[in-house]
Amino acid sequence: MSAVEITLKPGDYKTDLKPVWCPGCGDFGVLNALYRAMAKLQLDPANTVVISGIGCSSRLPGYVATYGFNSVHGRGLTLATGVKVARPETTVIAVGGDGDGMAIGGNHFMHAARRNLDVMYILMDNEIYGLTKGQTAPTTPTGDKTKSSYWGNPEPAVDPVELAISTGATFVARGFSGDMKNLTELFQRGIQHHGFAFVNVMSPCVTWRGDAQYGILKGKLQHVPEDHDPTDRAAAMRYTRETDVMTTGVLYEVDRPSFVDQLNHIKMVAQGDKPQPTTREILETFYPAV
Amino acid sequence: MALVGSGGDGVITMGDMIAQASASEGLNVIKIEAYGPQIRGGESSTTVRVSGNEIFAQADAVDVLVVFNWKDFGRFRGEITTASSAVIFSEAKDETEVDAGDLGAGPEATWIKVPFIDLAKEAAGTTLAKNIVTLGLLSELFGLPREPIKKAIEAKFSKKKAGVLEANMKGFAAGVEFAKGLDVDLSARRLEYTPGEARLLMSGNEAAAVGAIHAGCRFFSGYPITPSSEVLHFLSHWLPMVGGSVVQTEDELAAIGGVLGASFAGAKAMTATSGPGLALMTEMLGLASMAELPAVIFDVQRGGPSTGLPTKSEQSDLWQALYGSHGDAPRVVLAPADVEDCFHTMVDAFNIAEEYQIPVIVLSDQNIAQRSETLSMLTLDHEVKERSRPTAAELEDYKRYRDTPTGVSPMTWPGIKGGEYQTNGLEHGEDGKPGSSFLLHEEMNDKRYRKLRPIRDEFHFIRRYGPEDADVGILCWGSSKGPVKEAVLRANARGEKVAAFVPQVLYPFPKHEFEEFLKDIKEFIVMELSFSAQFYKYLRTFLELPEGHTHIFKRSGGKNLTVTEVEEQIAKALPLAAAERGVLV
Repeated sequence: MSAVEITLKPGDYKTDLKPVWCPGCGDFGVLNALYRAMAKLQLDPANTVVISGIGCSSRLPGYVATYGFNSVHGRGLTLATGVKVARPETTVIAVGGDGDGMAIGGNHFMHAARRNLDVMYILMDNEIYGLTKGQTAPTTPTGDKTKSSYWGNPEPAVDPVELAISTGATFVARGFSGDMKNLTELFQRGIQHHGFAFVNVMSPCVTWRGDAQYGILKGKLQHVPEDHDPTDRAAAMRYTRETDVMTTGVLYEVDRPSFVDQLNHIKMVAQGDKPQPTTREILETFYPAV
Repeated sequence: MALVGSGGDGVITMGDMIAQASASEGLNVIKIEAYGPQIRGGESSTTVRVSGNEIFAQADAVDVLVVFNWKDFGRFRGEITTASSAVIFSEAKDETEVDAGDLGAGPEATWIKVPFIDLAKEAAGTTLAKNIVTLGLLSELFGLPREPIKKAIEAKFSKKKAGVLEANMKGFAAGVEFAKGLDVDLSARRLEYTPGEARLLMSGNEAAAVGAIHAGCRFFSGYPITPSSEVLHFLSHWLPMVGGSVVQTEDELAAIGGVLGASFAGAKAMTATSGPGLALMTEMLGLASMAELPAVIFDVQRGGPSTGLPTKSEQSDLWQALYGSHGDAPRVVLAPADVEDCFHTMVDAFNIAEEYQIPVIVLSDQNIAQRSETLSMLTLDHEVKERSRPTAAELEDYKRYRDTPTGVSPMTWPGIKGGEYQTNGLEHGEDGKPGSSFLLHEEMNDKRYRKLRPIRDEFHFIRRYGPEDADVGILCWGSSKGPVKEAVLRANARGEKVAAFVPQVLYPFPKHEFEEFLKDIKEFIVMELSFSAQFYKYLRTFLELPEGHTHIFKRSGGKNLTVTEVEEQIAKALPLAAAERGVLV
């Protein structure tokens, strides 16, 4: 019997659950790009976990035929930490929206980046709360009128890309859900990156930001210049807090030991070449030292 | 004996050496420490009870009190009481007027002024050796194991620079000489014992951590919080040695998130916290119930609400553990009642969590968690269980939440081919897919709650003390067991028909065992350290406790329950039990 090479196609990563997203939602583009990236890398569904928090975009794990977990609001990265640390051989992809990741889950974002946790985190940024029907998000521009800011948003917006670079992420990219080719490539590179890979995807909400959001974003779109050095932190920072343009591509990429590397190192030092202690041996250390 | 001083007086070291030396001689020891709120310095005390007989609690009153500074002692007012016949040593230079009655000392007490400072300076060249002088004094007067204490001193100082050990040994000898020169006869107070095999000396937090490792825990995530941090400390040392990992998270939300992620990935996982942390974990406790994930949450109770009394014990997280959640969120609540229990309840907790895919909260408290107690190695043996995974046939058409008679569905995790599933905190069907129909919700609630009955039928971790034909029955839980057991055994020795019932499984409620215990009891006493009587009210949701025959002893924590308090309740209830049943008094 000869071995049969089974090639997984993007469609093989689809579940039979139909997305709840509105027609025209940017998240469809993100999902399709993810299917393609997974197929390009031939990710083994049994060894892949997709994890999210809560929000429109956080429904995504239900649509991917791997192990998946749509957890609670803001906490996707905390579960991703547990999965990756407990089973490091697994490819872990965390996803969520801007409210989930930048507001309620903001603290976890900073610490996942700081630890250089070995996951790819896709943030689907639509500058609004969609699932709860149109309130201001931390990424909503100042002055924008939303359901919860009748007179206009009094707060400045956060740029997740800037935050990721400044808190320790080692791969930081920006993409656009309407740019399938480049987005697929960003996801591919993000999954392959060793450490915390952050991809901020501008993913329009046609329902609460209007059809115009696509046009506005497309008009601002520019790819990062060929000569950009992604290891240059200061250079990368120049592509944050942009207002008139939106620079996509890999903005920052450096190599630093990942969280799993560090934990493996600790295990190695702790164990040395000794056999693991038994319960009895651990208990014996509680005999008086006298 | 209680030893009180300022930070730097070495009272904690002194208590530790007495405990270690006594444990090495096979004696029974219970040692507690108390501190002021200062991070360094400030007042500190250590209370050590040593006995050749079995002991179950710290003593209500101390036989020996050593005070380096009465001002420091004042801060433990109401917490350290002396026996009326106590021997009280205090610094000769400290001329503070002391109210003997306030202390608990009677006319038969012996008061001895000791020039601790001068003795230490003369013999060891430093006042720092005050504690070592005291060890010499105490070992001479009360027969504390002298050679082991000297070995403990050697162990502590032999690595210090030359001369330090010798100086301390001179300090010890000076204490012994001072004792010999005293004109008092304390021979009746000497500790009499036959040396036996060395005992283990552990705290509840350490026993719980070892229990977790024994049960197969290989992932811990937690956030530092008093009085549970020792679990984090211990596991950060030992878990990597057995191939596990410890993550100190950014907050308690991340701590429980990490546990659920690791559990989803197939690992046995736990966190440890105290009341404020458990409050933060509550949302994801519901996720564990909903997604049916094994998880162990170790809650070391302290005085609350809010920041409360971080370093003192209380039994007031009970309702939070039992009921804290939105929605109907089944969980299991266990409660160790002493240090050894901490080992066993943790193994049970993992066994239940893994077998039934349900969160298990283990409610310890500061008293058990931070006291050191002697244990025997032999009792620390416990079977370990694993979660059930689907057979190859079941993987052909795998449904993560397949409905079964016990409510338990075989579970897969990443790495298992064909077992891929997508789960969530939404209500979901057998395949894990979200759904919001009433019928589905009712069915799945039923499935999740169905697990509680087999858990109740399988685990009978309860304790009962006293005769079968008892008239008075005491119901308590957690650390209250120590003084209750001691009081009950003393009452039984006097021929009084008193019994106590201490469940280590609080939920699912061991109703049958409770009813069995209560059926011939005439007077009921419920004892707890919760101002609002959480345990009594909880019992009332399952049991009829007849009015007029039920005595509720409840008060705030901050001070551990005493044997005297239990004895007072017994003394009140006994004459009532002797009267005709049904007569209200």
